[in-house]
Amino acid sequence: MERQNTVWRIALLAPPLSVFAVFVIWPLFSSFIYSLTNWNGFGSDYDFVGLDNFAKIFTDKLFMSAAINTTIWMVAAIVVPTLFGLGLALLLDGKVPGGRAFKTVFYLPICLSAVIVGQIWIWIYQPDWGLLNTVLSNITGEKMRYAWLAKPDTALGSVILAWSWQQTGLSMVIYLAGLTAIPEDLLEVCEIEGAKLWQRIVFVVLPLLTPSTVVVIALSVINSLKGFDILYIMTGGGPFNSSDTLAMHMYNESFRKYLMGYGSAISVVLFLIALTIIGIYFRQLKKVDRIYG
Amino acid sequence: MANPSVVRRFNPWRGAIFAMLLALAILFLLPTVGVLLASVKTTREIALGSLWSFPSAFYLGNFIEVLANPAVHRYFLNTLLVTVPGTLASTALGVLAGYVFAKLPFRGSNMLFLVLVAGMFFPPQVILVPLFRLFNRMGLIDTLWPVFIVHTALGIPICTLLMRNFFATVPTALREAAILEGASEWQVLTRVVLPLSLPALAVLATLQFTWIWNDFLWPLIFTQSDDKRTIMIGIVNLKGQYSVAWGVQGALSLVASLPTLFVFLFFQRYFIKGMTMGAVKG
Repeated sequence: MERQNTVWRIALLAPPLSVFAVFVIWPLFSSFIYSLTNWNGFGSDYDFVGLDNFAKIFTDKLFMSAAINTTIWMVAAIVVPTLFGLGLALLLDGKVPGGRAFKTVFYLPICLSAVIVGQIWIWIYQPDWGLLNTVLSNITGEKMRYAWLAKPDTALGSVILAWSWQQTGLSMVIYLAGLTAIPEDLLEVCEIEGAKLWQRIVFVVLPLLTPSTVVVIALSVINSLKGFDILYIMTGGGPFNSSDTLAMHMYNESFRKYLMGYGSAISVVLFLIALTIIGIYFRQLKKVDRIYG
Repeated sequence: MANPSVVRRFNPWRGAIFAMLLALAILFLLPTVGVLLASVKTTREIALGSLWSFPSAFYLGNFIEVLANPAVHRYFLNTLLVTVPGTLASTALGVLAGYVFAKLPFRGSNMLFLVLVAGMFFPPQVILVPLFRLFNRMGLIDTLWPVFIVHTALGIPICTLLMRNFFATVPTALREAAILEGASEWQVLTRVVLPLSLPALAVLATLQFTWIWNDFLWPLIFTQSDDKRTIMIGIVNLKGQYSVAWGVQGALSLVASLPTLFVFLFFQRYFIKGMTMGAVKG
């Protein structure tokens, strides 16, 4: 019996594991090797240049600004949709009239692609007749012609807003699921004991939502690290690299300048950042599991 | 079932909540409505500065132009050619791995499962250069093969995770009973467990279909000639061609979103249930 189980385990696991190994794990390790070379992407030969590519990172001004932008992008891309999603979930929890329709409206942007979302928001930020300037003109009475995506001060923030618009629905759905798991009796007791609305939210609901928060933040981190498409569409990392992120910088060095060795070094750094975050995440997950099991 | 309602219980002002939600919903819908409105206006009307107002006449020319464009047909066909097989293949592989992790655990299987699931977290840029070289050597650059293969491989973690979580809810007694009756493991999987898994499969199919359909990075890297591009790259390419025809762009965006919106609306019920199953209990 046990031997038969082993045969089945191997038979069933072999296809998924081999595909995963060849097209994900192996390239992952190869990236480390390429990061030590000066490969240009086409020739079959290259030289090992040791840690030169990594040394170059420290003198590359564009890398430094991309690292700062990535930090801003990640923090904002985690905080903003999470808070919006939590707020919406709290408002929608319970029998609000039209609740289903509201949920669909807030969830819909998630179904759109980064290309479409980028396209929509390019129209909103368009200097001449874009929605944002039109609304601002009507409020201030002066003709606004601000080019939101073409100004270094506002480019990154504008993309973050578009990104938040798309991602909010996802955290809302997860928080809504978390809210249904909170027993009503508990809230009633708190109410009878005289806890105010904000006290109940801050001291009872939010702590009980911790497992949902863990999931929301994990998804936000994953999605924001991958957040390349929407930046590529909306600003291409510009103007003057003001919205350049590490993912964008890696693409430019590898596939525009054909410095695949250097590009690989950047991707290795990106990988190490991801690994650190995953490590922290799994540690937190264990803690949450122990408490809320 | 206790169905608590945090705000409702706390809050006497339900009307205020409704008004607030309504205002937020309108704000949220504005961007999409803008595209809808633009898609039924003539280029002239938009150029006169009324992109965000109601159209003076309901104009379908933009949709006709998009749907009659042979390049658009090609983009759609290419996208289907990677999306459908990619969805099927990644789901099938996830079923196999998920079944073992849920019903045939072995020493170290939890560790292996974690490693596999960790694959979900990595930025795709990390494997981009080696994959480019691999597919280049195989002579597959500028074909649809690499896009299909990469989506299949990268879909394995999420598919395994969701299928394992679902299979864990299927009673083990069912499997044991079937085995005692003389069924093989394969028969248990395909005849007992899979028919019970349709909701989970629907969720996965929706997720994978949407994800592959909407993807931009992989076709951008692995395809080059216009007749190998997928719809999301196509939109960006056509944008140049129609650089002032915002109505056509709006129509194109809409048409390109229809398949995923359709799949989402069709599977919505399963989708939200399954998502939260995977997310909260995972």
